[in-house]
Order: sequence, then structure tokens, then C-alpha cells
Amino acid sequence: MTALTMPRLALSGELRAIGHRLLAVVALCTVLSLMSDAFLTTGNILNVLRQAALVFLLASGLTLVILTAGLDLSVGANVGLSACLAASVIQATGSAFLGAAAGLVSGCAIGLGNGLLVTALRLPPFIATYGTLWVIHGLTYWFMAGATIHGLPPAFRALGSGYWLSVPIPVYLMFVFLAIGIGFARYTTWGQEIYAIGANPVAARLSGVPVNRRLALVYTVSGAMAGLASLIFLARLNSAEGDIGEPLTLPAIAAVLIGGTSLFGGVGTVSGTLVGALILTLVLNGMNLLAIDANWQPLVTGAILIIAVALDVLTRGRDGANR
Amino acid sequence: MAAVAETLAGATRDGGGTVPLFELRDISKSFPGVQALDGVSLEIRAGEVHVLLGENGAGKSSLMKVLCGAYQADKGEFLYRGERVAIRSPSDARALGIAVIFQEFSLVPYLNVAQNIFLGREPPGRIPGGVDHGRMHARARELLHLLGLEVDTRALIHTLGVAQQQLVEIAKALSQEARILVLDEPTSALSGRESERLFAMIRRLQSQGVAMIYISHRLAEVFQIGDRITVLRDGRKVGSLKPKDTTPDALVGLMVGRKVDTTYARQYCESPGEVVLEVRGMAAANGVNGIDLVVRAGEIVGLSGLVGAGRTEVARALFGADRVTAGEVRILGRSRIGAPDRAVRLGMALVPENRKREGLALIRSVGDNILLASLKRIFPRGWFSPAAGATVAKERIRQLRIATPGTRQLVQLLSGGNQQKVVVAKWLNADAKLFIFDEPTLGIDVGAKEEIFALIDQLVKRGAAVLMISSELSEVVKVCDRAYVMRDKRIVGELSRHEMTEDSILRLAMHDG
Amino acid sequence: MADLTLPLRGFGWERIPGAAYMLAVLSASFALVSNGFVDGTNLANIGMQSTILLLLALPMTLILMTEGIDLSMGAVLTLASVVLAAVAVKTGSVSLALAGALALGAAFGFANGALVAWLKLPPFVTTLGTMGIASGLALVITDAQSITGVGDDVVFFYAGKLAGVPVPLLIGVAAYLCTHWLLYQTRFGTYVFALGGNREALRLAGVRANAYLIGVYAFGGAMAGLAALLLTARISAGHPTAAIGMEFDAIAAVAIGGTSFEKGNGWLFGTVLGVLLVGVLRNGLNLLAVPSSLQVVAIGVLIIVALLIESVKDRA
Repeated sequence: MTALTMPRLALSGELRAIGHRLLAVVALCTVLSLMSDAFLTTGNILNVLRQAALVFLLASGLTLVILTAGLDLSVGANVGLSACLAASVIQATGSAFLGAAAGLVSGCAIGLGNGLLVTALRLPPFIATYGTLWVIHGLTYWFMAGATIHGLPPAFRALGSGYWLSVPIPVYLMFVFLAIGIGFARYTTWGQEIYAIGANPVAARLSGVPVNRRLALVYTVSGAMAGLASLIFLARLNSAEGDIGEPLTLPAIAAVLIGGTSLFGGVGTVSGTLVGALILTLVLNGMNLLAIDANWQPLVTGAILIIAVALDVLTRGRDGANR
Repeated sequence: MAAVAETLAGATRDGGGTVPLFELRDISKSFPGVQALDGVSLEIRAGEVHVLLGENGAGKSSLMKVLCGAYQADKGEFLYRGERVAIRSPSDARALGIAVIFQEFSLVPYLNVAQNIFLGREPPGRIPGGVDHGRMHARARELLHLLGLEVDTRALIHTLGVAQQQLVEIAKALSQEARILVLDEPTSALSGRESERLFAMIRRLQSQGVAMIYISHRLAEVFQIGDRITVLRDGRKVGSLKPKDTTPDALVGLMVGRKVDTTYARQYCESPGEVVLEVRGMAAANGVNGIDLVVRAGEIVGLSGLVGAGRTEVARALFGADRVTAGEVRILGRSRIGAPDRAVRLGMALVPENRKREGLALIRSVGDNILLASLKRIFPRGWFSPAAGATVAKERIRQLRIATPGTRQLVQLLSGGNQQKVVVAKWLNADAKLFIFDEPTLGIDVGAKEEIFALIDQLVKRGAAVLMISSELSEVVKVCDRAYVMRDKRIVGELSRHEMTEDSILRLAMHDG
Repeated sequence: MADLTLPLRGFGWERIPGAAYMLAVLSASFALVSNGFVDGTNLANIGMQSTILLLLALPMTLILMTEGIDLSMGAVLTLASVVLAAVAVKTGSVSLALAGALALGAAFGFANGALVAWLKLPPFVTTLGTMGIASGLALVITDAQSITGVGDDVVFFYAGKLAGVPVPLLIGVAAYLCTHWLLYQTRFGTYVFALGGNREALRLAGVRANAYLIGVYAFGGAMAGLAALLLTARISAGHPTAAIGMEFDAIAAVAIGGTSFEKGNGWLFGTVLGVLLVGVLRNGLNLLAVPSSLQVVAIGVLIIVALLIESVKDRA
């Protein structure tokens, strides 16, 4: 496997998997540029990319969880707690590095906790993560005690708001983790095992796949990515308060599903999630450009989620997967 | 309710000479590659217990499904009291008074007995939408009394034992004015005493004119309860007799003696190698106990027995899929397997009976499936190369002659035989030393069967050991070097090459069941 | 557990539900630790505030019994409350406002049920979507502001008394009796058990299972509409985020009360106990000045304790 052939295969395989969704992106862009002059400006495009990057980073780990036919409803709350912890540490120590570390550790810990609930206690994923969602939510509010943390050091803020070569930094992170995600899912044995677990956990176990260990891994990764996303989010907003992160769960799940990953497991790609994040962000951006009230956004996201789920169920045709 | 009592009181036991209550004539049914039923005729008389006897795959369940409207017969006709009728759907069968008591009951666990019996047909109360509980329970009590079941109609189903649940299921059928009751292996989940009570109830129903078809493989019961015995073999009726005109051995002879449909001839293993699998006194959480067996390199050892004997449970326990509670399992000297991933690391392979549910990831490609058990072996550092993987998979496809357009084809689109080959390919890749095959040729046509046998032979010629679970006795006799026979979750005998015949295996598997 | 009279027949420690133990223990603890707890007004408050949760938890019991869930209840309640307030303020007619809220709730419930039954979408993710839609609509309609000016005739339904009894209690008792009748005395209720316990058996019996499944969700939506009346009356306004997240308390109450995510197993009176437990917990913790955010954690602990007690009793 030479270095020359590998990237070529990567491109063709992934592109084939997300073909018509990319067309949807192109179509959306065309429609939006026709509907509003403000769309095709540099500022707006970069904004869209930055937003999509944030959603993607959060949803990339979630993709792995959904690939195993699981679910992580706590990602939004995870972002909230991790961001608040990171902000507090920065405020207390003045060190952006320590703050970032705190955020990442928090994300991983929550993810690992979810993983243990699912594997050791054998709780169904949607119930387990629904429970942790509320517990983390409560802890975040209690920790912040109603206060808001402002004014983070510029070095840290660059993570979310900064540019390099005129492109927002989160966009670079997006591509980095896209590559990592594709690499993991397609080019490691662990990735192959994760797909197998989603496709048929019984057969996977009887083929020698250590199912519990892999499940614990994907939930931890989902948590870790939430931790990373929380840093970007925090850097962008430059403030942290209790309800930060709340509205992120719905778009994250929607992005994964729009991207073609099935709730029933075993089918889907990380690059699909990126395209899904793009599609979602474009729709919301279009609404902004058309001066549609921002209050409509959760509504539209919810509707898109339901449509994506319906399409998933209709194409999979599988019954009895009760989530 | 009055109608039921009337029906039951009015019908009398048909002695013979009168028109039978129900008749099947020349029923045939085929599936792709398999003739499930071939011109079967059957007479059902009121008040008679008609036993249907046969090995696995003889056609008993197909016949039952045709009778209850789940399958459509290709040829043949049904006669109800001499008049032609059609059974095109389950409601047609119900309208004719045919009710089947399957092994999985259709009962709701947290509703009570009366509610279950009258599910969907609750007597209306005075307020619209309400239920007249008083009337419902009264009717239910009457029915249970008829069956001799002393259970509070207010009891929730999940608090009842299997035997009682079965009787509730029967009461449900009777409440729908069933005149022909089909019982599918009714004693398989019952204790001896519970079986006796079931027989008492059957005799009670007989005296009230209900006709019963009793499907079983337990010879002792057949003589105890049957008025007439029909033996099926390979989808054909090979005999219809009264119990007093026959003996258990004669019945066994009828059930067995299948035309050998393969020309495969194997060179048996004269000098087996080292001990690969050694099991002493194993018992497992899934119910098997007292398991002792040995398999050596170069041998194909059969594990025979009837459905429910516990063979798959033994396989699962060996593989670590179910918990071992006693005894010792050693593979190549290493013990304490514990979990499937360790079993695989130690060189075990399990080709499961239900390949779609347990052996394959149907929505994944042929290549993905072939590589699944050997990922760590082929890619030890964890970096997976799709190209390298595809090369390995292609070689297996060629070696096993798997009919697929390529490695990317989804496994669910392959035929049964080719799907089985994919499973075998998966384990070949894993370089296993012990292969456990559970019904390797189930649902596979004759040509592919021979290929599978040849494959298995190659495996042992190259030094692996094979434990083969099979219900097809001719297979076991042709292919295996030795065979263990199981019955009621224990190993009841071991047969050497010379002792192995279909007769001897069946006798061990069935007698005193 | 399908019979309310069951725990009363013959005394035995194992027959007392875990929730009852917990209620006793918790109440006793708060009574000891906090002064204001054992106060007539305080206890009455607990009862009244719990009524809104009860109206959500009763249908949630049925939904959970069918192996489903409705995450949109809090949002639908909020939306209905906002609409009720708007209609009441605009038209001055309480009955019109209530009719609107009920219709809205039932419509959302029907939509949830249709998605789950006809399209066979997984309930969790689907109601997550409708939750977004409902909460979004609430924000849109109100432009993220409260709708004030709700008249006394609406407030009466929370603060008023009929024959000396607070109206919410009357409504709560009526709602319980209706749901009890529905679950244990009608065909509908029988089929709720079957929808969760053995849906296939129901179909084989010739029953239109889908219709009843939709009915269960629609019932939940309608109750949310009724609860909207109490909510709007209580805060004298239509607030766009008033009850967001209340479904968690409802689910917790049902789970604590003994209805598990098991197949078709449910106990309605247990839900009442669960609602009281949540109410007592929140009230007690409030008196101890524990922030509401931590109260959520406490509820989570409560659920775990309830599950543990049940499993210990099972093994005994």
C-alpha cells in the first residue's frame, strides 16, 4: 500500500459514499446564492464553514456511536459542562493550556461514563445517555451558580475566532478531524469491527470481536470530541454560562443522520456527517439571510431530524429497533 | 360460549366409516431447491388424536403451516366434512375451526387469564368502550373448568408456569370454537407430571369431539396418546397406522432409511493426531450437563441428536458464548475460555446454525465478512488496508468457489450455500484449529452440500479438528469418523465408525425420551 | 400489578411498593431536617404543584408501557400554555382558550403517534424532533417574550376553590380517575398492555394495533393541553420556556412508581406515588435552599434507588 495509492482510494471510496448528498450541497448553494446577494460573500461562506466545523466536530464522535446502533443524547450537555469547566480553570489559573486540558478531560470522562453505563450496566444507550444528559445539565447549572465567565485570553479565543491564511481556524480543525475520522473508520481494524458491531452485534461477538471494549471506546471518543467542540465553542462565544451547549444535541444528531449514517447501525461515514453538517448549516444560514426569525431554527432542525429519521427507516426497512 | 359447549357436546367421536371431519388430499408445497411436501394426504376425525411423526425436515412444520393458512399449498385440496374448501389465509383457517398452538405462545404477560383468552373479543360493558369483566371472567372460568385447569382467571400470565400458559393458549383457541387443534411439540417444555396433566386434558377434549393433530418426536408419548400415527419422511407420507398395529422399532424404521442423495465418499481418518479439544464433565448455564468428549486433529466427529437435545448449547458453551458452570474445556491444552474473543484467539471457530443471525453481517460486503475474524491476525498493528484485505478475500472466494460478482457484493444477496461458504471462509482466514459446525448444510442444495463436505475434509486433512452437529443422519454416517449422541441435554452415547448407522443413532436419540 | 386492589389484599412487606417506602422515608427526613416542611400550606402546595406533573405522568405511564416514550411533552405543554394565554387574552374566553390548547396538544400527540405507528420511526429520536418543533413554535409565537394579562377567570383554575377544595386537586383527582378507568376498565386499556407485552398477539387477534398506539400518544398530547390550563393559571402568563424539560420529571415519576421499561408492565397508582415523591423532593430541597439544578441530580439518584429497591425485592 504505497502512499500514492492510498489517498486516491480514500477519495474515490468516500466520494462514492456521499455522492448525491454533495449534489444537495451544491444545489443548496445555488438556490441560496440566487435568493440572496449576501450569500456568496467571503464573510458569509467562511461563517458557514466555521459553523459547520463546530457541528461536525461534535458530530464526528457521535457518528461512531450511531454506527454501532447506539445513541448519545448527552453530547450537548457534555459541551456545556466541559466548556464551563475549561472557562473556570482558565479564569482561575490564567492558563489557556490548563483550561483546554480540563475541557478535554471532562469530555472524555463523561464519554467513558456513558460507555460504562452501556457496557457494564447494560443500560440501553438512549436511556443511559438521556439520564447522563440531565445529570450533567444539573451539575453544570449548579457549578456555574447562575454566573457567567467572560473575557478569555486572546490566545485561547483564536481557537474559535481566529484566522490563519484568512481561513477560520475551526475549519482547519474540521479537515484534520475529517482525515482522522476517515482514517479511523476505514483504515483501522477497530473501525472495521465497529461497523460489524453495528451491522450485527451477535455475529460480531461470535466472530471474536471484543464488543464491550469497542463500545466503551466509541462512547469515550464521542465524549472526547464533545470536549474538543466545547473548547471551540467557548473560544468563539468568549463566554460561558449554564445553558451553553444545550441547543447543540439536536443539530449534531441531525447532521449524522442527514449524512447517511443509519440509526440501525453498520452503515454510514464520517465524511457523510461533514456533508450533513454542511447541509444543515446552509439551511440555517439561508434562514438567517432571508431574515427569518432565529426562533424558527430549532423548529426547522427538529423537522429536518424527523425527515432524516423517516428516510432512514424507509430505506433500511428494519423493524423492531426501538429507540 | 353456548355455541362452543354445543359444538363440543354435539360432535361425537368418529369411529371410522363416516366422513372425516377434515381431509387433506395430495398436498404439495415446494420452496426454491427443496420439496417440503410431496402429495401428502391426511384424514382428521373428530375426537381423534392424530400423531404426526418425523425427523427434522420431514415436513411436519410445513404441513402445519399449510393447514393454518400461513403457507399456500402448490397442489392438492382440503375437504371439510367432504366438501371442498380453500385455506388462503389464517382467517380462513380460523373460520374452519382450525387452531394451532405454536411453541411460542401469543399471550400478553401482564394481562390476566381472562383478558388473554378474550383478547380482541372482549364482551362490551354498559359504558361504550368499557369491558364487562364479570361476564368475561365467568366465561373464562367455564372454559378452564372444561380443560381441568384450576387457575384464578385474575392471575397474570407471567405468574403462570409454561404448562399453565399452554392450557390458557388452548382455552383461547377453544373459545374461538376450534374443532381441530394442532399441537406442536406440546411437551417439549413440560415436566413429566405436567405432561400427564396435558394428556388428561387431551382425553377430556377428545370425549367432547375435538380433533387433535399432535406433532412430536417422542415415541413413548405417541403410543400413550395417539389414536392414529402418520409418519412423514422427506415430505412424503410413508405410513399411517394405529398404535396397536405397530411397534416403536417399526416406526423408527419408517422415519429413517432415507434415500442417500449424495455420491460423496470420504476417506476416513485412520490415525488421528493430537487431542485438540478435550471436555470433561462440562455443565453450562444453558442447561447441558455431563458433557465428555474428545476431538483429535484430522477427525470429523459428529454430534447427533434431535431438536432440543442440547447440541447447539454444547457448541455455544465450548465457544464461550454461554457460561460454563462446571467441568473443564481444554483446547490445545489451554483452558478457561470464558468469552468468544478468547476462544477465537485460542484457535476455535464456530459456524452457527442460524448463519444469518449469528454468522454474518448481512448488510456488509462479502469481503468485510470474510475478514472479520482475522483482522488482528492479518493486520497486527491495527492499520487496515482495504486493498490488502480485498486480495485476501478474493483468494478465499476463489479457493472456495464462492459465487459472487466481487468482494464488494452485499452478503445478503448471496444464495444460502454461498453465504455458508462465506462463513467458512471467515474461519479459514482465522487459521482455526478446531471448527465447530452447527448444521452446516441446512438450507443448502445438493450440489453445494458436496462442496461443503469436501471443504470440511480438506480442513481435517490439513490437521484441523472438526466437531460437526447435524440432524441429517445420512450426513453424519457418511462424513464422520465417530459420533456422540445427545438426548435431553446430556451425551448418551458414543458410536465408532463401525457402530454408526442411521438406525443406531436414532435409537439412542429417541428412546425413552 | 394490573389491579389497584392487589397491594391491599393481605399484608406483607414485599407487597408495599418501593415508592411508598421512599415517600415515607423522604417525608420523615425532610420533616426532621427542615422547619417549614410540615406546614399545612406547604403540604397543600406540594399537592397543587404536583398536579401539573401528574397530568403529564399519567399518559406517560401508558406510553412507556407500549415500549415508547414522548420526549416532546414538556415542549408541547409549554406551547399549549402559550397558545392558551394568547387566546384567553385576545378573546377573553377561557373555554375557547382551553379548547385551543386541547386541540393543539392532541394534534401533536397524534403526529407523534402517527410517526411511531405508521412510519415505524423510533420513538426516542422522533419525539426529540417534535420536541424541537414544539419548543421552536413556542418561541416563534411569543417572540421569546411572556404573554401577560391573563385574566382571573384563568387563574381561578389554579388558585381558586370549589366547595372548599383547590381546583387543581379536583382536576388531578378527576384526571387520575379517568385514566384509571381508561387503563383498567376499557378495551383501550387492555390493548395498551398488549401493545407493549406482545404486539404481535394483538395483531393476530385481529385488532388494529396502530390505531390504539396512535391513541395513546394522542391521549398524552391532550393531557398536556389540559395541563397547560393549570400551568398558565399558575404563572398567570404564557411563558415560552415554562415547562421545557418537564417530561424528564414525568418519566422519572413513572419509573420511580414501578413502571419500568419492561414489556407492557405498568402501575398507575405507582405513578401517583412517583409524582408525589418528585414533588416532595423538590419541595424539601427548595426549603433547604438547594439549587434547582442539583435537584435534577437528586431525582436521578431517586430513580436509581427506586430501581435498586425493586430489584432487591425481586430477589427476596
